[in-house]
Amino acid sequence: MQKQVRAWLEDGKVDVFLAYKMDCGHPLPHAFTRERIDETEDLVTGPARYSLEKFATQIAARHPEKKIGLLARDCTQRALNVLAVWNQLPAEQVEPLPVNCCPSALKPHADCTYLEAPATGEVKIQCGQDPRQSIEAVDAQEGPERFARWMYEFQKCIKCYGCRNICPVCFCKDCSLEHPDLIGTGNLPPDIPIFHLVRAVHMAGRCIDCGLCEDACPAEIPLRLLYGKVNAIVKDLFDYDTGASDALSPFSILGDKPTLTPAPLLAVSQE
Amino acid sequence: MTLKFVPSICSYCGTGCGVLFQVMDGQLVGTLPMKTHPVNQGKLCIKGWNLHEHITSELRLKHPLLNTFGRMTKVGWDDAIGFAADRLKTIVAEHGPDSVGVLVSAKITNEENYLAQKFARAAVGTNNVDHCARL
Repeated sequence: MQKQVRAWLEDGKVDVFLAYKMDCGHPLPHAFTRERIDETEDLVTGPARYSLEKFATQIAARHPEKKIGLLARDCTQRALNVLAVWNQLPAEQVEPLPVNCCPSALKPHADCTYLEAPATGEVKIQCGQDPRQSIEAVDAQEGPERFARWMYEFQKCIKCYGCRNICPVCFCKDCSLEHPDLIGTGNLPPDIPIFHLVRAVHMAGRCIDCGLCEDACPAEIPLRLLYGKVNAIVKDLFDYDTGASDALSPFSILGDKPTLTPAPLLAVSQE
Repeated sequence: MTLKFVPSICSYCGTGCGVLFQVMDGQLVGTLPMKTHPVNQGKLCIKGWNLHEHITSELRLKHPLLNTFGRMTKVGWDDAIGFAADRLKTIVAEHGPDSVGVLVSAKITNEENYLAQKFARAAVGTNNVDHCARL
């Protein structure tokens, strides 16, 4: 890995490479450059996961001529697809270097922390939504119960905006969550459930299920489950797999071709 | 193009969350929670997420200001400290040392906080010391 990054920088394949380096005993994100190439010997791939693709987007906005390499886990690859689809980070400007991802029986060695939700306590199981449930299990709950459980989760929100700040695919300059006419200001918890639902709706066709938001949430709201449901609806209605390819999102409004088309099966059943 | 991540500790309260300052082209552009920090474990509150904003804020005070007849005028450090010392001395002489209170802050260092309480107790002669991180 170190040798490959070194070679990429020396050959000029990339101008900057985003990975991790041990600093004060912590694996911290680091931008490796040709000028300080010996630092590549200290490159590490895990176990922490930072939003490297977000840093790449910020670099690309300032320096469109720089070629950016980065460590790419499976979720990073999906994020890069989404960022290219939404014209935030041109695919030709980035050079992903695939690394091991989440652990499984087939792949015992993993560089990822997996960002798996920790075991849930009794109160959360009783009143809230266990983040390790399947979407089907949540759907199976009775309407009022499901609503009460989600409201229990939402009322814990301390409005830190961490979910939005850490999100690799959140790039808007003006954020609806900061619009005083849409979301009231000055109260905690924020306007629930609208605060979380506005963000959930904006994640439709964008969320790449990396788990960074849930990991950054101080109130441990099961956001991944919420956005997972939103994307399941997108999949059902428009047959769109978010981040799986560079296909245009059904919600893309730029260009002269309409992209909001229902999934084939659904179109037939409606006729 | 330079991009640096500088590890630090949030200065807003006594919790001591680990933060990373994101410095791009010599300019502080963002704050991130440190994922592996034992205190905050990759989480931050809204103040921590926006630590970088007050550094580049337009409203930040850069010079001492003296309130003379309701107007704030720019003065040098010696004048400002001299004026504050004179007024403090008069107040302590007229009303006693317990008429003065010292409020310190988590936004200054531990050593500066120590000096401030030392100043209150030894120089002014009062135990009226408090801190914003007395949670």
